[in-house]
Amino acid sequence: MTTTRPTRLGLAATLASVALLAGCAGAPAAAPAAPQERAAASVALPAATVCDDAIESTTSYAPAPGAATPSVDAIRARGALRVGVSADTLLMGSRNPLSGQIEGFDIDMLHAVSTAIFGDPNRLQFRVITSAQRLEVLENHEVDLVARTFTINCERWETIAFSAEYLTAGQKVLVTRDSEAQSIEDLEGLGDQRVCAPEGTTTLERLEETYPGVEAVSAPTHTGCLVLFQQGRVDAITGDDTILAGFAAQDPYAKVVGEAFSAEPYGVGVAADQVDLVQYVNGVLDQAKADGTWAASYDRWLGALGTAPAPPVSVYGR
Amino acid sequence: MTQTVAPPAAPSAAAPPVHRAGLRGALSRTPGRLRVAGVVSVLAAAAVGVIGLNAGLAQSEALSDADADTTQLVGIQDVRNDLVVADATATNAFLVGGLEPPEQRARYDEAVASAANGLAQLAGSNGADAELLGQATAGLTTYTGLVEQARANNRQGFPVGAAYLDQASAVLRTDVLPHLDDLVQANSDRVDSSFDSVGSVPWLLALGILALAVLLVVQVWLAKRTHRRLNAGLFWSTVLALAATIGGAVVLGSAAAKAGDARSGPYDATVSVSQAYSLANDAKSQESFTLIKRGSGAVYEEQFVAKTDEARDLLVRPTVDDNLVVLLNRWVASHEEIRALDDGGDWDGAVALAISEEPGAPNDLFAQFSTAASSSLESSAAQTHDALSGSGGSSVLVGWLMLVAGVLAAVLSWRGISTRVEEYR
Repeated sequence: MTTTRPTRLGLAATLASVALLAGCAGAPAAAPAAPQERAAASVALPAATVCDDAIESTTSYAPAPGAATPSVDAIRARGALRVGVSADTLLMGSRNPLSGQIEGFDIDMLHAVSTAIFGDPNRLQFRVITSAQRLEVLENHEVDLVARTFTINCERWETIAFSAEYLTAGQKVLVTRDSEAQSIEDLEGLGDQRVCAPEGTTTLERLEETYPGVEAVSAPTHTGCLVLFQQGRVDAITGDDTILAGFAAQDPYAKVVGEAFSAEPYGVGVAADQVDLVQYVNGVLDQAKADGTWAASYDRWLGALGTAPAPPVSVYGR
Repeated sequence: MTQTVAPPAAPSAAAPPVHRAGLRGALSRTPGRLRVAGVVSVLAAAAVGVIGLNAGLAQSEALSDADADTTQLVGIQDVRNDLVVADATATNAFLVGGLEPPEQRARYDEAVASAANGLAQLAGSNGADAELLGQATAGLTTYTGLVEQARANNRQGFPVGAAYLDQASAVLRTDVLPHLDDLVQANSDRVDSSFDSVGSVPWLLALGILALAVLLVVQVWLAKRTHRRLNAGLFWSTVLALAATIGGAVVLGSAAAKAGDARSGPYDATVSVSQAYSLANDAKSQESFTLIKRGSGAVYEEQFVAKTDEARDLLVRPTVDDNLVVLLNRWVASHEEIRALDDGGDWDGAVALAISEEPGAPNDLFAQFSTAASSSLESSAAQTHDALSGSGGSSVLVGWLMLVAGVLAAVLSWRGISTRVEEYR
């Protein structure tokens, strides 16, 4: 009997998480979830305040100029901002093989934080991590910030904190150039299709839960999916449009199709106990959104997705 | 046919009682007994020759087996080394970014070409290994394909190149090296059993001592029966057989001792250095991955430490040139400088040090170790080969000489006994 209990608890937690995901993982525009699902979530989870009617997942801590900033002071004393990034997600965070430098939209946000703290954009100490490592490196305080196509959601708010949203991505599908599929539903209709998504991502969870008609294949990183795609071992890749745009740029035989079928609000991940750092980062992001730095970065990296839209509005109130 | 055969069968069926009575009768008389003694001593003397020839041929065969299996073993380890050298070079070149240095590209090409040649030769030289070698060759084809894909993507500035390199290294470590490791094990087992037979063959000659004892017994019996102290024929036959056995034991024993020395000397050094060299190259790839993975390289660093520790244990064996472990330690110390820079947050500095071709830089120190290990390998493998191939000929020669001696001894014995038998006519 005792052995079954943890399993049951785990199941309850998973169900609650799914409910939460469905309820509030989306942008503010997402449809509100059924009230009983919310109730179930708040019963099952000790940190009931991570998301509720008043607090959306994208709600962060408002900047507090003048307040004490012990975490930021510690970083300044150390002389370097330790950041968890991707080195193989073209456009967002990837190592430029020609220069050896890690660069991309995510990285630009971190340069802005470095500039604010040190007056020097390059005081970044990069730690290349996989998607699955994002939570643990923050929980263990191995890095100060994580900017790695990191979708803000309620489940993650349970263990870490997020900055305000700095980019709205949407999940799309990448297929071969001659494919007629426009969505995952089309792929389900074709039957026997293998679709790749990286381990430890909201994308993979959604793929496995919502689309049983395709075979979900996981790879350690997004780029691992591209390798499988180029080797013909998967038929499609699903992921955020920002990431897929980077793939299409590397492979002329790949195309990104259809409309985004989810909204993925990206935030900078911070350890849950460093609220002052979250507030500081939010101040930096607000500044970048306001003074055109954000738009310049968008045009430089994500121009393929269209001209720069208005930056996502920061939501505060936590 | 059957009809023509059948009639003679009848008398022969009736014959045995007569024959047996005759044999019993003959044995009860001295000349008959003398003849039997003659036959026994002739057989004993001839046995010395036959045993000697067998021992000589068996030892020569065991020696040439040991030699062939050692050569095969060294060949497989050479291929394994070529592959890890290629991988270490490819991963290190990847760190450089952009255009890889032409010398590194050349080193990679050379290592892959040498590995491919080696695999084909090894498959030809030992049929038992051909299947696993075929699988390793297939894996190598996949590996080189992935490396080229990594390179092509890298050249266009596409980060997917790193993922191909990752996969290439994984294929090498799952589809190629394990097959070679199995073959190394199988060959080293074969070498061990060949060495064991080289060592045990001289004990065959102990049977010769049995034959000598028979000759002595016959002489003692003859001396009592004929009241003469010595039978010249039998005496010289015994002396000859004894000399042949001792001579054979000395020659085969010394070949066995020489092989034993080779086994515990240059052969041991060859195997140890080869393994250590392979481990060091593997560690070198891991070093590059600690930097490629930038900050998430802890797993690779653990591998680095484990592999270099293992290499060090092999290099401190008494058979190995002392200088090698010194060179290895010097390289590992320079690796620690790279780690110190990276752990201290200076990734760019760490990479610059890791790819530097300056004298005294990690790559240079590693090259010094590699060169020393390769030349030590070559010379110890040559010594092993010399020790094993030199003795085979003398083992065969001594075998034939013992046969000749055995036949002579048999003739002498027979003549010695015949003289006595004549006296009864």
